[in-house]
Amino acid sequence: MRATGRNLLCFAIAAVLFAAPLVYMLLQSFKTFTGFLQDPTGLPDPWTLENFGEAWTQGDFGRQMLNSLVYAVIPDTVTLVLGVFLAFPVSRGYFKRSNAVYAFFVFSGFLPGGLIPLFIEAQALGLYNSMPGYLILTSLSGAGFFFFVGYVKGIPKEIDEAAALEGCGYVRFIFTIIIPQMKPALATFAIFGFVHAWNNLILPLVMLSDQQLWPVTRGLYSFFGEHTQNWPLIAAGTFIVAAPILLLFVTLQRYLVEGVAGGAAFGTQGVAVPAERGEAR
Amino acid sequence: MAGSPFGTRRTRRWIPWASIAIPGIGWLLFGLYPSLATIGYSFTQYSGLPGTPLNFCGLCNYTAAFTALSAQVWESLKVTLIYVVGVTVLQNLVGLGLALLLNRPGRSYTFYRALIFMPQIFSVAVVATMFALILDPVTGPAEQAWQAVFDSTTAFLGDSSLALPLVMLVNIWMFAGYTMLIYIAGLRNVPKPVYEAAALDGAGRWRSFLHVTWPLLAPATTVNIFLTAMGALGEYALILVMTGGNFGTKTLGLYMFDSAFGGTSQLGYGSMLAMLQFALTVVIGGTLLFTLRRREIQL
Repeated sequence: MRATGRNLLCFAIAAVLFAAPLVYMLLQSFKTFTGFLQDPTGLPDPWTLENFGEAWTQGDFGRQMLNSLVYAVIPDTVTLVLGVFLAFPVSRGYFKRSNAVYAFFVFSGFLPGGLIPLFIEAQALGLYNSMPGYLILTSLSGAGFFFFVGYVKGIPKEIDEAAALEGCGYVRFIFTIIIPQMKPALATFAIFGFVHAWNNLILPLVMLSDQQLWPVTRGLYSFFGEHTQNWPLIAAGTFIVAAPILLLFVTLQRYLVEGVAGGAAFGTQGVAVPAERGEAR
Repeated sequence: MAGSPFGTRRTRRWIPWASIAIPGIGWLLFGLYPSLATIGYSFTQYSGLPGTPLNFCGLCNYTAAFTALSAQVWESLKVTLIYVVGVTVLQNLVGLGLALLLNRPGRSYTFYRALIFMPQIFSVAVVATMFALILDPVTGPAEQAWQAVFDSTTAFLGDSSLALPLVMLVNIWMFAGYTMLIYIAGLRNVPKPVYEAAALDGAGRWRSFLHVTWPLLAPATTVNIFLTAMGALGEYALILVMTGGNFGTKTLGLYMFDSAFGGTSQLGYGSMLAMLQFALTVVIGGTLLFTLRRREIQL
């Protein structure tokens, strides 16, 4: 009997505190504007789907969704591959002062935030307000490297020597031996990296002034400002922006939640998530 | 490639080097350089507009921060400290409470944990808009609840006494799930026999929490307090979308963002604020690590 009481309490907390805001917003998006004004907090009466279509066209979310996908997938993939290529020799100690390089990398994470110089640099290099420029900035920043160093250490070094004796080349070795061995770590990082890139607001705000180049987060920020008080429309727009991430979460929640819990247990915590919190400082 | 089994054939030696050099150069250009350049730019006056000069002016921004503009700087420091302390303490209490409550086997608990973790995968733009809808002073459900309880009206995010606590609560709402998961991982590392021994000694629930669980959770507490404090210190995107830094919510991070990108284009002054933020991070982070580690040893 006590177990059920606890279960009910937990249900109440999870449902009322954590799920309800999202459900409430979704409900608002089904209202007509007049219906909303007549009864702002009640159930939709009449129900309508118009807001979604209107928000989709007015907010240009179709184009922005594609932009977001490009901004999330390309840097995520590049970061993963480059991260492995950097982590492998550093973790193995295959070049002089690997440890110093690693220590330097770790230390550099505690330096001042570089958003302003990055903005100036992007302008000087012609990367400002351009899709390729934004992709270069986000792909090459060196993220993901620490995450892999510890993981590569867990792969037996004997494999390297055996492969070298067999005449396996360096690049082929990394792609056919190391990367498959690191699948769990890569999957976790890929998911968090994707979510982080999709959600990033500050960097698009600073680096992309042209509306055609905006990702959905940047688009929603403006959409919110333009449609003050038309809450059903804003709610629909917000839900459109949140839907892909929500879908991803529903499909992968087991890995996401376990990834954090597992990471915490093995002492690699704080690598994936704080990067998401601080955005681009 | 000293000792590498892959660098022996002379013709192929460049491949491993290139594989280090490309990410290395990228990191130097877009990771390390911007970070270090903040120091340099903090000694300049610069608008960042094409064709405008970059004036080196020594300590001008630092002097301004402690003279003409000191009121704004102190105000943002105060707001930042309230934000960091409030979020860190509350989020850890909430996270620990949720962990103790939800650290159970069974499908329903897995589901609850996932729901509580969910908010942080959304963009701050989504979360902030969602809460703006709920906290709308005319049409929001929060307003109705407020009227029912206090029999008066309030502007919520437009009220200087409420805006900061509300943003803090939304921050905690977003990230409490992460704190909870780390505490749960910590709880799972506590060996069962210790509890049994405590129960045999006649320890009740509260005493066994105080003398067994809490000390053995010390590593998880260290990680959580450090991460939430550093996260809260670095957070300004959420505040930017929720209040724009108005109504007493302008933290140092947002002040930096605002002075550089909020229309005034004072990139030098903003860099100086980024340096202040950095100093604050070093002081708070260092103090936390030192005290929390020592506490772990003593416990």
